[in-house]
Amino acid sequence: MILGEVWNLPREVSEVKGKDPGTYLQFNSHMVTFYKQTYGELSRFFLALREGRLIGSHCPRCKQVMVPAATWHCPTCDFVEMKEIDLPHRGVLAATAPITIFPSASFIGDAPFARGYVDVATDAPIASFLPLRLRTTTGLPRPGIFVKGVELKLVFEDERIGSILDVFAVPMSEVPAKLRDKQPLLASQLDFAKPRAPAVERSKEAETALAEALSAMRALAGKIGKSPRAQKDLSGRTHTIGVKTGGGNFTLRVASSGIRVAEGLPKKADFSLVTQDPAVFTRWVADGSLTDAAVEGKLWLPHKEAFGVLPILDRLPRSVRRDVR
Amino acid sequence: MNRVAIVGAGITECRGRWVEATYWDLFQQATRRTLEDAKCTAGEIDSVVYGIYNDMFEHQAIPESALTGIIGMSCKPGTRVTSGGATGFYAMRTAIMEVASGVSDLVLCIGGEKATDCFDPQSRTATPMVIDTIAKSWDPFFEYPLGATASDSYAQMCMGYDDKYPGDIGDSTVRAKIIEMLCRQGNKNPFGQRRDETVTVEQVLASRWIIAPFLRLLEACMYTEGAAAVLFASEKKAREISERTGVPPIWVKGIGAANESYQAGRGGAYKPLWSIVSDRVAAERAYAMAGVKPSDIQLVELHDAFIAQFMITMGEMGFVPLGRTRKLVDDGVMADIRELGDTKRPRPGQVLINPSGGLIFGGHFVGGSNMFSMWSARREMLKRQIPLALIHGTGAINAVYGGAIVVELESGGAR
Repeated sequence: MILGEVWNLPREVSEVKGKDPGTYLQFNSHMVTFYKQTYGELSRFFLALREGRLIGSHCPRCKQVMVPAATWHCPTCDFVEMKEIDLPHRGVLAATAPITIFPSASFIGDAPFARGYVDVATDAPIASFLPLRLRTTTGLPRPGIFVKGVELKLVFEDERIGSILDVFAVPMSEVPAKLRDKQPLLASQLDFAKPRAPAVERSKEAETALAEALSAMRALAGKIGKSPRAQKDLSGRTHTIGVKTGGGNFTLRVASSGIRVAEGLPKKADFSLVTQDPAVFTRWVADGSLTDAAVEGKLWLPHKEAFGVLPILDRLPRSVRRDVR
Repeated sequence: MNRVAIVGAGITECRGRWVEATYWDLFQQATRRTLEDAKCTAGEIDSVVYGIYNDMFEHQAIPESALTGIIGMSCKPGTRVTSGGATGFYAMRTAIMEVASGVSDLVLCIGGEKATDCFDPQSRTATPMVIDTIAKSWDPFFEYPLGATASDSYAQMCMGYDDKYPGDIGDSTVRAKIIEMLCRQGNKNPFGQRRDETVTVEQVLASRWIIAPFLRLLEACMYTEGAAAVLFASEKKAREISERTGVPPIWVKGIGAANESYQAGRGGAYKPLWSIVSDRVAAERAYAMAGVKPSDIQLVELHDAFIAQFMITMGEMGFVPLGRTRKLVDDGVMADIRELGDTKRPRPGQVLINPSGGLIFGGHFVGGSNMFSMWSARREMLKRQIPLALIHGTGAINAVYGGAIVVELESGGAR
């Protein structure tokens, strides 16, 4: 369905207070149109995607390639007819890609995701870039992966409907050599489900930092026990998180509206986090943000579900502070 | 072309949400204040040009139709302009052309937006739905389904610029200093949305990432509700109004505009990802028409979606070199309001940028933001006797829409 079940409001008028004194009313409404939207002249591009092909339009006069083919008549050459051209399933990232953390309402649950412009018609003197979702098999999108110039492989979803989301790009370096020339390469032929966590370098400094972090987190755990706001933040949540750091490993357990930390990894973790620098956790306790650490690439996460837990953890130091006051 | 003057302007208070007003009342407020400022009546006005960006925000297609009678424009011609973030600029360009062509003598140019009645049932807050509504300005075939929004679109331009010119806009501390300076300026804007705030460099650097590494929470413009209007007049009408008000006209000296291709790409007519070409071309056209150079201009009100883009825009418009836009701070090109106080002109080689607080601290009611900038530029020119000012607007995907207006204070204009 296009709109999830929660995309609705009761038919009602309610009171609302503003900046000025007085009572005001507000009414619930929507301004949404449903469409059976034709792809029109773009249908050729989407039909090709369904067939596992990537096509563009090519002008015989100026030799430009437009992909996706947004038009079949060249605007530069007096609208001369353009020809269909098959394009290779590889390209180069045209500019470092932004990573969305706070999506719009329709994409809640999708973040973090990366979207970038891929130069696929690299032989053409003039060419448009193909906007695509960018994915990595090494965990969540983070800085340093989708950088300008990185070589990309186009991957096709196993089930395709005729949407720009039928296809996405992955760094070529993550594709096994024997699959790099496969056209189409299907998503099921790569492993996104079990990303390999990065290695950490052990050091004495990091061990000291870990001891400090554990101490800070234990202090936070104690304060949570006295903080109704923090307990409300955690209510109903259970997570067993294994954390690997450059100073050693620990377990962060969320349960019974509280947190507990223990040295060493848990027997069975819901998911693992990895950071070279244990101070990420010390800073978190001191009103910092684990989300920010993840966004900056300092804290590695395996998947979106793990990312969804971080904002809850981020609230705890602030909640505790507000209750102590 | 006939000469065109600005003879009055007015704005409403900028609020995060005007519970107390629909856009009908906001536009009427702005009209009233502008007419009071110009000592004119609605009856004297020949035509009205509206800047309203997004029908979904106003909750009505043909949103301006509801305003005609309420703002006293019954049976006058009315044109509504919508051009994304550059709506206000393009509305002003339209109004200016009506007067310059001789078709009208007095044109009310009014813009505004009511963006935060939007509501997301999932998070039970407004913001994700406000973002989604703006995101529907991106096409339904490719960009919108990919999850593109205004933030990552502008961020993409910053990243493309940073790929080409590393070490410039990427310095968080430089950006944080500009925020601190803008905040102080915004404190002096009696209508500004964040006029009561104090934001320090430390607070900016500690604020959450929206998009790393160019956009922290405290570096971005907000969503605002409000309206602003500017009154454009022919020379004859301008002299008459100036007599009544005792305020000198501000003359439109140059105007430039450019919309780049929607499709990004390499060569040909495609939009490059490392340059806000629209800013550069629009500014160059405005300078050419006005017969001025950037170094002649000491007052700029630019459309700042976020600080990294603010810096690129100042580079594209020729105030600092591209690749070294950080000279705004490093070399003190950006004037410090603590030095200038309320009435001083910037020192030679300096520019007073966004004394209104910009869209970041003053307000960003999309359809009227550029009128807000014009209102402020005029106010500052009159207060500080600054002879020339540049007003800038930008909008749409990857900042493809660009506009610039150069205005001049009538020489000998009294305070």
